[in-house]
Amino acid sequence: MIIRSSDQVPRTALFKRFPIPRNFGVSRESRIRRGKTWPAPRVATRMRTFEIYRYDPDSGENPRLDAFEVDLDDCGPMVLDALIWIKNKVDSTLTFRRSCREGICGSCAMNIDGTNWLACTRFISDLAELATIYPLANLRIIKDLVPDLTHLFAQYAAIEPWLKSKTAEPERERLQSADERSKIDGYYECILCFCCTSGCPSHWWNGDRFFGPAVLLQAWRWLTDSRDEAKEERLDNLEDPFRLYRCHTILNCTRTCPKGLNPGKAIAEIKKMMIQRRS
Amino acid sequence: MMPSSTTTRPRPLSPNVQIYRPQLTSVLSILNRITGILLSACAVVLVVWLVAAAWGPQTYAPVQAAIASWIGRIVLFGATFAFFLHLCGGIRHLVWDTVHGFELRSIYISGWSVVAASVVLTVAAWVASASMAG
Repeated sequence: MIIRSSDQVPRTALFKRFPIPRNFGVSRESRIRRGKTWPAPRVATRMRTFEIYRYDPDSGENPRLDAFEVDLDDCGPMVLDALIWIKNKVDSTLTFRRSCREGICGSCAMNIDGTNWLACTRFISDLAELATIYPLANLRIIKDLVPDLTHLFAQYAAIEPWLKSKTAEPERERLQSADERSKIDGYYECILCFCCTSGCPSHWWNGDRFFGPAVLLQAWRWLTDSRDEAKEERLDNLEDPFRLYRCHTILNCTRTCPKGLNPGKAIAEIKKMMIQRRS
Repeated sequence: MMPSSTTTRPRPLSPNVQIYRPQLTSVLSILNRITGILLSACAVVLVVWLVAAAWGPQTYAPVQAAIASWIGRIVLFGATFAFFLHLCGGIRHLVWDTVHGFELRSIYISGWSVVAASVVLTVAAWVASASMAG
């Protein structure tokens, strides 16, 4: 099947996960137990079951997978609506981040049916019969669907994501031609939801030192900005076997971006710029 | 006061490869790795075959018999496919290094092309060698 844009939902029922044991390489405290089933408050005609990752730090117990029955006639159309419905009507302790409910804040990024996406822009009708919801992959979990993003934001800070200039400050704003401005199109729209970084196998294995697609896309956003004057310094910071070059062009990032951006291309642009400055 | 559980036990890591959906992007990437490893092993077999040939007919005969056996042929067929998959995948990566073909549609078209080309080239190589062997 040819995928044309990242919002296409995979339809194949076959091969939903890699053929490896569920606890393959999983540390003791991260192993997921079977949790409880929460029936809907009242019997409804259109129901759907959601399997949701739960972790309660106060219980001292391992994460578990709870099943919730959701009444689709009583609930909005998006996955986020279902989560809010569960929190309101079934289990008020279900914890997740959300804010704008329109795909611009990036708070409700999570792993829905095996791929990372924003809960507010994924239709429930696009989910599998037994929908599964996990937090963003490969992150330390604070509670339920809330991952600890401290490390990812520290990596973001490491690329110094602000305008750096050496020339004297102009009287008015720093001007940019329409053509120069268009160079940051497709990059400045990133909302830092970290769907891509959390879906990147290279970041799973080397996330301690590899910056990951979201941060590298941001790095390119500054490298390609005509107003920025710290190109050399930025490239020096990235010239490292891990920070940049652990990207092996797997392109899970471009496949999963909920904003339809292209982190894979941004990283390839950085690698090309590295070569060009050497010659 | 509740004991702070975060200090007594580490936070769990959310599952990654155990739950993330296999996609053409990740599957071809892992296949490129696996075929690369297999081809390294095949290089050793190739050296054994060449050394046996240089050694003389008495050494060469059993090695050749092993390769020509059914198991040998199946392995050789797999190695041919691995070779072409790795070769086509490598060409795809070379194109990417020039920052071309990054639109999602291009990524999927080139990915499936690599799979199709590898199948066609493998079959073609075996048909050609069979006809040459007579």
